[in-house]
Formats: sequence, C-alpha cells, structure tokens
Amino acid sequence: MSDGRARIVAWLGREILPHEAAVRAWLRRSFAAAGDVDDILQETYCRLAALSTIDHIAEPRGYFFQAARSVALEQIRRARVVRIETVSEIEALDLALEDPSAERIVSGRRELERVRGLIAALPDRCRRIFELRKIEGVSQREIARRLGVSENVVENEAVRGLRAILAAMTEQDAPAGARGAGEKTDGRTRKRR
Amino acid sequence: MVERESAADIEADAARWVVRVDRDGEAVRSELDAWLAGDRRRRGAYARAEAGWTRLDRAQALFVHAPAAPDRPRLSRRGVVAGLGAVAAGLTAMVIGPRLLAQRYGTALGEIRRVPMADGSVAAINTSSELKVDMQPRLRAVKLERGEAWFAVAKDAHRPFVVQSGPVRVRAVGTAFSVRKREGGSDVLVTEGVVEVWTEDGKTPPRRVFAGERVFADNGAGVLIPPEADADLARRLAWRDGQIVLDGQTLTEAAAEFNRYNDRKIEVADARLADERFVGWFRTNDPEGFAEAAAATFNGKVVLRDGAIVLRGQ
Repeated sequence: MSDGRARIVAWLGREILPHEAAVRAWLRRSFAAAGDVDDILQETYCRLAALSTIDHIAEPRGYFFQAARSVALEQIRRARVVRIETVSEIEALDLALEDPSAERIVSGRRELERVRGLIAALPDRCRRIFELRKIEGVSQREIARRLGVSENVVENEAVRGLRAILAAMTEQDAPAGARGAGEKTDGRTRKRR
Repeated sequence: MVERESAADIEADAARWVVRVDRDGEAVRSELDAWLAGDRRRRGAYARAEAGWTRLDRAQALFVHAPAAPDRPRLSRRGVVAGLGAVAAGLTAMVIGPRLLAQRYGTALGEIRRVPMADGSVAAINTSSELKVDMQPRLRAVKLERGEAWFAVAKDAHRPFVVQSGPVRVRAVGTAFSVRKREGGSDVLVTEGVVEVWTEDGKTPPRRVFAGERVFADNGAGVLIPPEADADLARRLAWRDGQIVLDGQTLTEAAAEFNRYNDRKIEVADARLADERFVGWFRTNDPEGFAEAAAATFNGKVVLRDGAIVLRGQ
C-alpha cells in the first residue's frame, strides 16, 4: 500500500466518516427507496478513495455531499425513470449543507473520547481484543495466543467489533449480527446472500 | 438474471478484509485485489472500513499510560503439553515441527476450503481436490493430485514454490496463481506476478506466464499453448467465493461447471438449448437455481429424474 493511499484513508476517517450520518439522512430524504442509499455511499467512498490528491479539498463535508449527489444523479439517469420530485430534492443540496447540526460532530479531543467510548461499549471479549490490538499494538496472532482462542475467533470478534464501531461512528443502527453475542464464529466460510 | 450483491453483504465482507489484511498483510493482498476488482462498491466499502479501523489508532493517544492488564493465557488443549515446561515444549516443537510441515488437504464434492500454510502462503482449494504440501528447507513442494487450487505465495527467494500437477510443473517465488489438473494437461492462471511452467520430460524450456494470463500445459506433447491474455480471470476464479459466473458460456459448458460441484448433475437434453449462451451469477451449490433460470430464459423446462436435473425443451 502506498503512502498516498494511507494518507487518503486517514483523511477519510478524519474528515469524511463523521459526516456520513448527515449525508445518509439527506440521501434518504431524497430517495424513496432507502436500499439505494448504501449503494450510493459505497460508490461515493470508492470515488473518494480513488482521489490522487486531497490537498485541494478545503471543505471535506461539502465535497462529500457533492460526490454523493453526483453518484445519485448518475444512478437516476441510468435508471431512466425519473420522478421530477426526486431530482428537485437532489438539487436542494445547499439546504442540507447548511444543516447547523453538522459542526458539532468533529473536534479533536471530543472525537478521541468518542473513539474510546466506542471501544468501551463493545462486548467483553471483543473489547479486550480491540484494546490489545489498537491500544497496546499486539498482533492478532499474539492476541489469540494470550487469550487462548483460535485466530479465527480473534478475526471474527474483530470483524464484529469493527462493524459495530463503524455503525456507531456513522450513527446508524448496528448491522444485523454485528452486536450481541449470538453470532456464529465461523463467519469466514459462511455463505453470503 | 445476475444476482446483485447487497450493500450490507459488501459492508460485512469489507470489514472482514480489513481485519484479515491487518493480520496477514501482503499474503492476502492478491486475494483482496481479486475481491476488490469485482465491484466498485466493494472498493468503496473497503476504503470506508479501512478508514474506521485506522481511526481507532487515535485511541492510542489516550491510553499511553494505561497499565496493560497482564493476561494469563488460558490452557488450550495443546497447552497441556506446553505445561511440561519450557525445555520439554522446545523438544516437542522440534520433533513435531517437521512432521507437521508435510500436510495433506482434501475437499469433498462441492466443498471449497481456504488453507493457510506454514510459510505464510494461502491456498484456496476447489471442489473434489487433493493436495499434498511439503515444506522442505530449500523447496516448497505442492503436489496437486486432483482438482484445482489457487495459491497466494508468500515471498521467499530462497525457497521456490513449485506445484506439481501430473508431469506439469509451475514455479513461483512470490505471486498468486491457480492450477487445475485436467484430463491430458493442466490449466494455469496467474493473478499476480510471474510463474514458470514446464513439463517434466524437459521437451520445452520453462515458459514464463504473467499476471492476467492463462495457459494450458499439455501432458503428452510437452508443449505449451502460447500464453494468451485472459480478461476473464476474475470470472474463472469466482469459485473461491463459492460462485459460478457465466458470461456467454453455452448451457452445456455451464452445466459441466455446475456438475463439478454437485451430486445432482445437470443434463441438457435438448440440442437447441445446448448451444444457447447464458449470462448470470450463481452459487456453486445451486444447480436448480441455474436450471430454472436457464429454462425460464430459453423457454425450456426442468424435470427432476433419478437425482438428475434435466433441462429440456417445452
């Protein structure tokens, strides 16, 4: 992985993720079918991650909204069935950008506290794994050894925790199975869909 | 007809990839790249999950002085042996170690397995396959006894990784490729880096095959069909995710593909249908789903007979 990529990923975490909830809410208001929203967001992240430089982006939040809008518009064009009100909603981007609740989200120290809070809120074993990995810098293999569990268990717990934390960072309900103790631990071979 | 992967599934897979890369690093890189290549949304979801994962590193700043609670390792089953003491454990490792390094892996019909190897390489083993892995000091020798496997090879310039498939040999240093043993020869697909392919009798010099290329190495003739670029590599390796992807294959070819994975064999019992071409995305273990979709598309019907799935005209 190149340095450029690492820099963009860090930027995504710092400047973009905290606004996802706002963009998601705006997209949801603008689209009848909420299912499309996650598709649009993933495509938007794909575009942002592919940026060769981020230095020219003074307003990440606005940029995020714009990128999501252009993805949404493309999808509507591709679908060919355009409802007038959908387009006008999407055009009403300025309104969403002025949402005053936005500014409260990002700010250094509080953001750190929040990250810590997110980890602390995980179920026990999951939290322990995150603390060892992320705070003490212990490798997954070593964590498995220390906790006396298989690497697979560590992997599954880490995946579960990461999903819960991502959901919390972007203020959604946790994805099904990302929280709670009942999830099967053989997730790697589980068939999807 | 193509089943579209849901955003939620992609999100879950992306989180798993981030965790796997955190653990295995470059060893899973090529496998990850193959997954990412499948859909733009996967690239987006992966970047997002990566961003979240990286974000957590900031937690470190808050915890610098937090005392690390010492973990008492719980005794695992194998831990009982270790309990005999450090010296004994060392001896055990010496004795058991080399023996563990020669390993056999097999898959049943329809089974697909992912196997991490002692050297950090990873093998994905397709249906009905058998594999012997022998990690020697100067050579990583893999014998494909039947079936198909894909390898993401950990770099080790001093220990080449050689797959033996009948008389065909494929050699890699650090790269990713698959070998499928067939009647009369072997298919070799390279997803990353370069491999050398030759046959045992030495009639032809080793041929270099590059990422994105596929060759067929013929057992008897000892001649390799010249490498050709294959735009279709991701489709051909979709089995690693338990999928069969069809992109213009005939129904006969498609049926043969499903029959590699299932007891319920598909028969195309209609000359007109046999040559129809089909596009779609299926699970390896869902031959009925494929047959129904094909019948609906080409105006045929599906009949179940003696455990077989027969596709015939109306």
